[in-house]
This record gives sequence, C-alpha cells and structure tokens, in this order.
Amino acid sequence: MDVVLPGALREYAKGAGTVQGKGRTLAAVLADLDARFPGLRQRVLEDTGAIRQYVNVFLNGDHVEEPDPARVRVKDGDTVHILPSVAGG
Amino acid sequence: MTTIPKGSTVVMVGTRKGLYVFHAKDRARWRLAGRYFEGVPVHNARYDPLEGMAYAAVNSFQFGPIVHRSKTLTKWTRPKSGPAYPKKSGWSVAKVWNVIGGGPAEPGVLYAGVEPAGLFRSEDDGDSWRQVAGLTRHPTRPKWQPGNGGLCLHTILPDPKDAKRMVVGISAVAVFRTDDGGDTWKPMNDGMSARWFPDRKPRDVGYCPHKLARDAEDPSVLYQQHHWGVFRWEEGRGRWIDVSRGLPSSFGFGLAPGSQGGTAFVVPLTSDGDRTTPGEMAVYRTKTAGRAWQRLTTGLPRPAHLTVLREGVASDGLDPVGVYVGTEQGQVFATRDGGDRWDVVADNLAPVMSVTASPFP
Repeated sequence: MDVVLPGALREYAKGAGTVQGKGRTLAAVLADLDARFPGLRQRVLEDTGAIRQYVNVFLNGDHVEEPDPARVRVKDGDTVHILPSVAGG
Repeated sequence: MTTIPKGSTVVMVGTRKGLYVFHAKDRARWRLAGRYFEGVPVHNARYDPLEGMAYAAVNSFQFGPIVHRSKTLTKWTRPKSGPAYPKKSGWSVAKVWNVIGGGPAEPGVLYAGVEPAGLFRSEDDGDSWRQVAGLTRHPTRPKWQPGNGGLCLHTILPDPKDAKRMVVGISAVAVFRTDDGGDTWKPMNDGMSARWFPDRKPRDVGYCPHKLARDAEDPSVLYQQHHWGVFRWEEGRGRWIDVSRGLPSSFGFGLAPGSQGGTAFVVPLTSDGDRTTPGEMAVYRTKTAGRAWQRLTTGLPRPAHLTVLREGVASDGLDPVGVYVGTEQGQVFATRDGGDRWDVVADNLAPVMSVTASPFP
C-alpha cells in the first residue's frame, strides 16, 4: 500500500514522498516501514504506542480516529497519509 | 558550507524557531555560522570539547524530540532514535530539556533530561538510550507535580571526578543526587526555601530548583537559582545556604559558573509575578560564592524588561571567562572580560530558550 509521508519525515526515506508499506494493521505497516527506515515509527507514535497527539493519519481519505494503530485494519491497495496537525505557534 | 575555524569560541543559541550557531576567534567579532532546524524548538544545544561533538535537543511539536549531533556544528546527523519510555510505563517523552556529556569521569557517555521528568543515558552518541530507572521509579514520584514549564528534568551535573556521582534538578520537585551510579537517588533539599508550603516545614519534594551549576574549582560546591532564592551547597554541612542578600530579587531562572572558584553569574527578574528584568538589563556576579554580589550593566540596555530563561545564561570556561545571556526577546549579550563590559552578539532572533558556549579547538 502507499504511505504518503509529510515533508518533515521524508528524510527518513531518502527524500521519497510516497513509500510502500506492508501489514494488516496500521501498527504493522509502521513497523514494516521502521525496519527499512529506522526511527520513522517513533516520529509517528508516542512511546505508549498511540498515534502522536498532533499527527493526523488518514486511511483512504478518512481521518483515523482510533489512537491505537494496532486496532486500525488496512489491506493491500489502501493509501495512508501521515500529516502534521495544523497547530502550534 | 560554512566552516567554523578551529580555535574559535562557539555560542549555540536554541530558540523556539531553531538553532543559531555563532563563532568568533576573539570573542568580539561574532559571525553566524548558520541557522538549523528552522521553525522547530531547540531547548538545548552544546558543543562538548571532550567528545569533539555537538548535540542539539530538537523538540518537534508534532513529531516528538530527537537529539541530533554534529562534529562541525554546521552539518547535523539525525540519530536512529530518541529517548523513549517503555511502552508499559504509560508515559511518553514529550521534550528533551537538557543534553550533556558525562564529562571526564564518563567519557563517551551522553545524558538527556526529559519531560515528563526522567534521565536517559546513551553510549553511542544518541543512537540508542536507556532510562536511568532508579530515578524514574523514585518512591516520591507519586508526589511530583509539574511547574509552569512542565515536569522537566532540566539540569544534569555529572561529577567530573567520580562517575558514580551526579546531581540533577527537576522543576517543582527537587534536587536529587546519586552516589552509586544512578541506582538510588536522594533528595538534596536541606536549607532550600519552603515558604510556599502551608506550614513552611521542609518536605522531601515540592521545591522548585530553576538551575544548578558546579563551582569551577571545587565541584563539591554547587550554586542554585531557586524559585525563591539563590543558594550555595556546602557539602560539609549537607545543606543549601541562602546567598540572595545583595540581589535586587531572589527570583530568576538562569545561572552560570565563572572560571575561577567562588564565581557565578545570575540574572535577577522582578518577581515570580513579573518575570522580567527590574527596569534594566543587569547581570549579577559573585566572586565570593555568594557572600557578595556586583551589579554588571556596562553595555547592557536600560530601560529594559527582558526575560532570561533557565538555560539562558552560560559561560565558556575560558579565562577571563566569557558569559553569554539570551533573552526571550531575541537578544544575546556577551562579555569576554568576566562581566565588566557587555556587547550584543545578536538581536532580533526568535525567542531564546538556551545559550551555551565553548571553545572549539
């Protein structure tokens, strides 16, 4: 499946904006990416394993409300977008 | 790409919107080497001459904290990971507040103080980290509450002569010490101000150390800028001595040691209700370990209502000592003669959170 990375994290994938991920859950996909791009998962997930508070994940255009990525099912052909929230100052 | 000449003094300025690196061979004609991590808060950055490496605590609001490193200070390397609590702890590292090397007693070791308060240790330049669990699991932890800036471990003082000894400061909690390499920690609060406790009786935690530093010649002597008071630790007496007399205010954040014994610098702020300098920018210096203070203003602005945060005062360890003060208003002031005269290193920066200075041999 396609995983679209935000600008701030593309350095982990040598500048690539879209990478391929594998897995049946969002957690598995992030683990798969982390194996190839070490450190990427820690930028998306808290130490507790939840999606970071100010990171938004979209699955096929729908915002993922579930904070536990292990409970988010994905399949081949899906598109995952990882975006920073519009917050801060 | 800019190359910082060897033999320079480097000043690293962490701001809410990135890191600025300045350098000068004469500590007078400062040049900007570059701005890094644009737009991202850098809570602390320092060059460690012993390791030949600089470290920067870069705290992305969205993507979390990472300690970057650089040998040149102009090209930065992202590590493989940042400090992280175990998943089962229920905590997540929100920010890295301070990063410092283990010093002469622990070469090759890097420490990070984080929020929520904890101490992490790395032996591979920040690629991997291990929490110092003895502190994380301190029996007083259920009573730790955050201060205005967060529950942060902001000061780490390795003992330069003994790898098993260290002192740390945690905002709104206490000063702690270990004498066994971090397995166990004891609060180090005797003599600290307790005026806000309802009964004013000493407690084990609930104090608010703002910044700590070791004396340049006798590392067993410590200086502390507390929420209420400036203190000196006397190891023989096992307590803090209030040395605030002579200062216009006992409130402030930043503190730095001089290069000679008994010397320290603070920047008093008006009060904890008005956290700005009291009408003028003034740095206060002691050469007698706090027994007397000198007001230093030559070259500093007046009138001025500026804010200097806990990491906003630094010294370079040279003789005569250079002292550097950064403000939330975006200025960096510096002296190269021990404080008698001050100049402006930079103005109109993003709000300054941290200043460090070091020889770049």
